[in-house]
Amino acid sequence: MATTATAPVYTPVESYVGESGLWSWLTTVDHKRIGTLYLFTSLFFFIVGGLEAGLIRWQLAGPNKHVLSAEAYNQMFTMHGTTMIFLAIMPLSAAFFNYLIPLQIGARDVAFPRLNAFSYWVYLFGAIFMNASWFVGAAPNGGWFGYAPLTTMQFSPGLNIDFWVLGLQILGISSLAAAFNFITTIVNMRAPGMNLMRMPMFTWNAFVVQFLLILAFPVITIALVFLQFDRFFGTQFYEIAAGADPLLWQHLFWVFGHPEVYILILPAFGLTSEIIPAFSRKPIFGYPVMVYATMLIAFLGFGVWAHHMFAVGMGAIGDTVFGVTTLLIAIPTGVKIFNWIFTMWGGSIQFSTAMKFAIGLVGLFTIGGISGVMHASPPADLQQTDTYFIVAHFHYVLFGGSMMGIFGGLYFYYPKITGRLLSEKLGSWHFWLTFIGMNLTFFPMHYSGLLGMPRRIYTYEAGQGWETFNLISSIGTAILMVGTLIFLINFWRSFRTGAVAGNNPWGAGTLEWSIPSPPPEYNFARIPRVTSRYPMWDMRSHEHAELSHAQAEESGAHIEVATGRSARDLGIPMPNQTIKPLICAGAMVIMFSGLLFIHENNMPLALSVILGGALLMTLSLYAWVLTPLEDAH
Amino acid sequence: MPVPHRLRRLLAAALPAIIVVALTACSNAQYPNSVFHDHTEFNRDVGYLFKILLWLGTFVFIFVEGILLYTIVRYKRKSENDRPAHVHGNTTLEILWTAIPAVILAFIAVPTVRTIFKTQATAAAGSLQVQVIGHQWWWEFRYPQYTTQGNGKLDTLTTANELYLPIGRTVNFALTTQDVLHSFWIPQMGGKRDLITNRVNHLWFTPDSVGEGAWNGFCAEYCGTSHGNMHFKTFTVTKANFESWAAHQLSPAAFGAVAAAPVTPAATDTIKPVQVPSEAVSPGKLNQIAVTPTGTKGGAVAAVSAAQTPAGPNIAAMPVQQGGFVAFPKEKLPAHTIPRTPIPDGLAYNESLHGDTERGRALLTAGQGGCLGCHVIRGNPMMVGQIGPNLTHIGSRTTIAGGIYPNDTKHLALWIKNARAMKPGVVMPTLGKGQLDPVTKATMAMGLTDEQIADIVAYLQALK
Repeated sequence: MATTATAPVYTPVESYVGESGLWSWLTTVDHKRIGTLYLFTSLFFFIVGGLEAGLIRWQLAGPNKHVLSAEAYNQMFTMHGTTMIFLAIMPLSAAFFNYLIPLQIGARDVAFPRLNAFSYWVYLFGAIFMNASWFVGAAPNGGWFGYAPLTTMQFSPGLNIDFWVLGLQILGISSLAAAFNFITTIVNMRAPGMNLMRMPMFTWNAFVVQFLLILAFPVITIALVFLQFDRFFGTQFYEIAAGADPLLWQHLFWVFGHPEVYILILPAFGLTSEIIPAFSRKPIFGYPVMVYATMLIAFLGFGVWAHHMFAVGMGAIGDTVFGVTTLLIAIPTGVKIFNWIFTMWGGSIQFSTAMKFAIGLVGLFTIGGISGVMHASPPADLQQTDTYFIVAHFHYVLFGGSMMGIFGGLYFYYPKITGRLLSEKLGSWHFWLTFIGMNLTFFPMHYSGLLGMPRRIYTYEAGQGWETFNLISSIGTAILMVGTLIFLINFWRSFRTGAVAGNNPWGAGTLEWSIPSPPPEYNFARIPRVTSRYPMWDMRSHEHAELSHAQAEESGAHIEVATGRSARDLGIPMPNQTIKPLICAGAMVIMFSGLLFIHENNMPLALSVILGGALLMTLSLYAWVLTPLEDAH
Repeated sequence: MPVPHRLRRLLAAALPAIIVVALTACSNAQYPNSVFHDHTEFNRDVGYLFKILLWLGTFVFIFVEGILLYTIVRYKRKSENDRPAHVHGNTTLEILWTAIPAVILAFIAVPTVRTIFKTQATAAAGSLQVQVIGHQWWWEFRYPQYTTQGNGKLDTLTTANELYLPIGRTVNFALTTQDVLHSFWIPQMGGKRDLITNRVNHLWFTPDSVGEGAWNGFCAEYCGTSHGNMHFKTFTVTKANFESWAAHQLSPAAFGAVAAAPVTPAATDTIKPVQVPSEAVSPGKLNQIAVTPTGTKGGAVAAVSAAQTPAGPNIAAMPVQQGGFVAFPKEKLPAHTIPRTPIPDGLAYNESLHGDTERGRALLTAGQGGCLGCHVIRGNPMMVGQIGPNLTHIGSRTTIAGGIYPNDTKHLALWIKNARAMKPGVVMPTLGKGQLDPVTKATMAMGLTDEQIADIVAYLQALK
C-alpha cells in the first residue's frame, strides 16, 4: 500500500469544459454548470441573509437601540429566516446535488437535464421575486413560519405576505422538480456495478433528502394554497371571524417544517461523511448503519412535527407522543456522531480546512442535539419555546451543522469544480473565526433565553439581565462576518491563483476523483465499472496494483484517456443547449407576480400579467417538449 | 497545530464549567426574569426536569466531545506514509451506541411523562379563575369569580396589563385571544401557554413560595408590529390584600361615579364574588366569552354556577371600599418591573400644566378625543367602548401601554397625545393637535391641546 501514500504529481491537464460566454450559461443544461449557478446564487443570498442577521444583532446589541424600526426589524427577521432556509442553505445543498450526484454515481448528467435548468431558473426568479419586496417597501413580516391568522388579510393587509406566499410557492416548484429529477437520476443512472449499498455517503444522504422534499413540500404547498386563496379569492380557511382554527396552519406548516430541518442538515451530513474518510484515510465506519440511520432520521422526522407546538395546548396525550418520538430521533443522530468519530479513530487525520469544518460539525451539532433533547421534554420546553434558548439550539444545528458541513464541502470540492485549491492559510483563518464567532454568537443565547428573553422582539429594556449576553452575541456576529469575508476573498482569489489541484488532490476514494478537475462536459469518457464503495482506493491499493491495465481502466483509471477533447471529438452524445427552460421559468414567475396587482386594485393589469405569463409559459413549454433533447445520431 | 488543540481543549473544559457557574448565578437578582425561580410548583417541577436534562446533557457533552478531542489528537497524521487499516465497522460498538442513548433517553422520558400529566391535570377545585384575553398589543385580565351587579348589568372584575394573584392559592388561567396568536408567559412563575384564536387554553400554578412582589410577564408568540412591546406585570399579594384589591377594583370609578350618579355606589351595588367550579369552565362556554368581551355571558355562567354550587367556598359580600390595600405600592416595585422605555424623539409635553379633573371628565364625557369609543370607565355612563383597556381604575396602575411606560403624568400625557409614535402599530389613534400620525402620515389639524390633555390626565389619575 506504500505506493498510494503520496498523491501522484499531477501536471495540469487542459480539460475540455465547453464554451464560455453569457449565452452558454443561460442555455446550459450541463449539471455541473447548473450546480455552479446554484453555488454562486446561493452564496450571494447567504451573504444577503448574513447582512440581515448583522442588522438584527446590531439592533439587539444593547437595550432600546434604534438601528431598525419595529416594522423594519420584523421584516428583517422574517427575511433572514426565509432567505437562509430557502435561498441559501437549500440551494447550497442543491449546488452539491447537481454537481456531485452524477459524478459520484458515474453518470454523464442528470436524468432530465432541461428540467434541471428549469429548477435553477425558477429558484433564481423566485429569489429575485421574494427580495423585490424590499424595493417596494413591503418585505414579508410574518416570520418564516407565517402563522395564521397574523398572515391573513385582516391582520396583514399589505403586499408583504403576498410576496412571501407567492415566493414560497415558486421556490417549492423548483425544489419539487429538482427532487424528482435526482431520484430518477440516482435510481436509473448509476454506473454498472454501483448497487445501492456501494453508493457514496453523500449521494445516499442526497437520495434520502429528495424523498423528504417530495413528501414534505406538497404539505406546505397545500397550506400556502389555502392562505393564497384566502388572501386573493376570499376563501376562509384561516379567517378567524368564520370560525377557522389557527392550528390548521400550524400542523400543516410543521408537518413540512420539521422534515425541512432534515432537508437542511442531511446534505451537510453527507458532505461530512465524504470529508472525514478522505482525511482519515479510512472508509466510513459502519456504512450500512449510517445509511439506515439516515433513513430512520428521515422517517422519524415526519412523526415529530408537533414538538414545535408544545405550548398550543395539545393535551397530555399529544405532548407525550410527540415528546417521546422526538427523544427517539436522538438515537440515529447519535449513531451518526459516533460513526464519524470512529471513522477517525485509528485513522491518519490530516487537519485540512475541509476536515476542520467537518470536525467542527461533529462537535457543534452535538451541542445542538443535546439542547434539542432538552426541549423534547414538553414541560421543560414550556420554559424554553419562543425564547432565545430555541434560537441558540437551531443555530447550533443549522450553522454549527449545516453551514459547517457546507463550508467543509466547499473546501473539499472547490478543486473539483474549479481545478484549483482554496488557500489553506486563509481557510484556517476562516475556520477559526467562524468557530469562535459562531460560539460567541449563539452560546450566550442559551442564557438570554433561560433568563426570560422572548424571541422576535425588536427591542428590550435595560435592567432585565439580558444586556451582557446580547452584547456578546453581537460581537460574535461581527467576528463571523469577518470570517465570512475572508472566505469570500479566498473563494475569489483562489479561482485564479490557487494551486492546481489535479484529479484527486485529497487522495479520496469515490468516483468523482477519478476524472479531471474541472471535469469535462461529459464527465466520464468511458462509464466506469464499480466494484467497491471506494473505487479509487481499492483500485490503487497494493492488491490491485497487479491488475491488468484493462481492469484498472474499467474501475475508473481512464484518467489520461479523455483530457482535452470535446464530447463531439469522442463521439459522446450530449443534450443540446436550450433557452426554453429559462423562458418557461421566467414566464411562470411573471404569471405568479400578476396576482400582486389584485391587491393594488388593478384587475385589468393583474389579469393581463397573469394571462400573459400563462400564455408565454404554455408556448415555451410546448416548444420545449417538441424539441428533442439530443441531435439524432 | 498546537494552538488550535489547546483552544479546543480549553473550550471543552470551559463550556460545562460556564453552564454550572451561570446556572447557580441565574437565580440571583441580577437576572430578574430567570426561569430558575421556584416560586410555584410548576416551576419546581420544570426545574427538576431541567436539572435532569442539564446534567445528562452535560455528561453526554463531555463524553462525546472528550472522545472527539481524544481521537483527533491521538490519530493526527504523523507521516505522509501513514496507512491506517481499513476498518469497516464493529457490530458490538454500534449496538452499544444505539442502546446506551436509548437508556439515557428512558431516564428522561419517564419523569417527562409524569410531569406532563401532573402539570396538565385539571386545576384543583377552588382555584382562582382568571381569563386572559390577548389583544394586539396588550393584555386583558378578567376575574369571573368577582362580579358586581350594578345598573342592571353584571360587571366582571377587569384589568389591563396588571395581574394580581393571591399568594398560596392556585390560579387557573383560561387563555383566549381577540385577534392573532399570543403566548402568556411569566418566566418566574411557570411555562408559557399560547393564546389561540377560537380556542380556550388552560394553564395553572400556585405562587406558594413567594412573598409580596412584582414580576414581569411577556408575550412570547410573535403577534405583529409591537410584539416586543406586549408586556404585563404580575403582583403576588397576600390573600387579604387580594380580596381588598378585588373589592376595590369592583367598585366603580371613584371620581367619576360621584359625579355621574348621585347615589353612592355602596348603596346600590352588591358585590358577589362567586366560586366557579373548574368543570363549569368548559371550552364551549369560554369560547363565547372570547367573542363577547363585554362579559355578560361569562358573568352569567359564573352566576349560574354559583347558584348551583352553594357548597363552594363562600366569600362574603363586602362593602365597596376605597381604603385598605388598593394597589401594589409603587415604592415597593423592584427596579426591573419599572419600565424604562425611552420616549421616542420629537415628542414633547409641557409638564408644568396642571389639569383639572372635573374638566377632564367633562371632556371625555362629551366625546372629546373619542376616548369613549374604545374605553370603559365604570361609573361614567358615557364611557362604554369595548376595544381598548378598561380604564375604571387606571390611576392605581403602575404602567400604561402594555407595560412599556410608567404610569406618570408625562408618559400618560404623551401617550394620549401620540400613542402611535409611542408604540408602533397601535390601534389607538394620534390625538394631539398638530401631531403627525405615523400611520396615516397626516398631521392632526384638529385634536386635543396640551391643556386639554392635562385635564384628561388629571381625571384619569384621579381614577384610583
